[in-house]
Amino acid sequence: MRDLRAVGTKFYHVLYPKEKKALLKEWDLWGPLILCTFIAMMVQGTQEVDKQDGGPEFAQVFVIVWLGAAVVTMNTKLLGGTISFFQSVCVLGYCLLPSCLSLILCRLILIAHQNRILFLLRFIVTCIGFAWATFAAMVFLGDSQPSSRKSLAVYPIFLFYFIISWLIISHSNV
Amino acid sequence: MANNSSIMYGEDLDQVPLLDNEEPLDFGEEDLPKGRLKHPVVTTFHLLFRTAALVVYEFCGIFSSSFIGPFIFIVVLLSLDFWTVKNITGRLMVGLRWWNYIDDEGQSHWVFEAKKGGLQGRVTKMEVRIFWVALVAFPVLWSIILLIAVVFSRFQWAIIVVIALTLTGSNLYGYVRCKLGKSDSISQSFKNMAAGLVQRQMVSNVTSMFTRAPPTATPSSTV
Repeated sequence: MRDLRAVGTKFYHVLYPKEKKALLKEWDLWGPLILCTFIAMMVQGTQEVDKQDGGPEFAQVFVIVWLGAAVVTMNTKLLGGTISFFQSVCVLGYCLLPSCLSLILCRLILIAHQNRILFLLRFIVTCIGFAWATFAAMVFLGDSQPSSRKSLAVYPIFLFYFIISWLIISHSNV
Repeated sequence: MANNSSIMYGEDLDQVPLLDNEEPLDFGEEDLPKGRLKHPVVTTFHLLFRTAALVVYEFCGIFSSSFIGPFIFIVVLLSLDFWTVKNITGRLMVGLRWWNYIDDEGQSHWVFEAKKGGLQGRVTKMEVRIFWVALVAFPVLWSIILLIAVVFSRFQWAIIVVIALTLTGSNLYGYVRCKLGKSDSISQSFKNMAAGLVQRQMVSNVTSMFTRAPPTATPSSTV
């Protein structure tokens, strides 16, 4: 279907951020929703007896992702960016894909019995995902900023993906 | 900061009032019974996902104590409902559609369209009524549920309700914009609607005065 194909194309363009039009011209929020739900499902915390079924952490991820994307977007617009609200949220959401992939890899690494080396491996994987996500987001959003303000615009994006990557690396129970 | 978005309304604009029960039946429709639906499947789906989401939200507490499963299920239902109402049922049931596109200069355009010419042959009053009732009722219901969730401090569940409100509310907003068209602001259109309602009420009162059957003379027998 048309919409599914659009989502797939955007995933592809996030992984190889050469061409900008696909994400910016026809934005949609399905990809961010899927990625956000996936990340939230995977990073659930410990199952304590008296608490509900991992509820708080699940909802926290949703709040962090959507509120975080909204705040970063507002910052970009206030700095004089020429991008629309939904486009920016779309880009930030789709660029969660590298973090998502690093989460899957970490989850696979967690199957083995943990030791220092494996933690280092997870750390490196998460860092790569984080850097890739930030780089991809900057490729898409960079042009909309005047060049003197670019680093001011990068910082919130950096912070946003840093927090997501922190959630990923700190998830260590199977 | 330059305003870089624009809002467009379709050229074939039809200023159909919100409660349109005055259209005469057209050729081919005279023999259609009043309650008949032209697109029964579409109507079912229009109602199905919204109702299912609400029902699951209310009753999932009875069946399981988990939060995540119902959360995902409800969000999936709400997404399906949003997509269906936006892309399919609005177009087929009332001939309206709305979307956003970015042009080559990076400007965002919101387009609201109402179908003019083919409207008479393709929609039935019953469907129009069902469409609008469902479109308006669910955001209202979700707002009430949000109040309840906040009052009872069920904040996790309030997140679901906020998502539901966002999705159903945005469809409502988009279709109302389509309906109201380009010249009216929303408050002006509500005034027009209220005036129309008053007029219709007065007209029906006057006509009923002339067409009321004379009172019967037979007294009713009581035991």
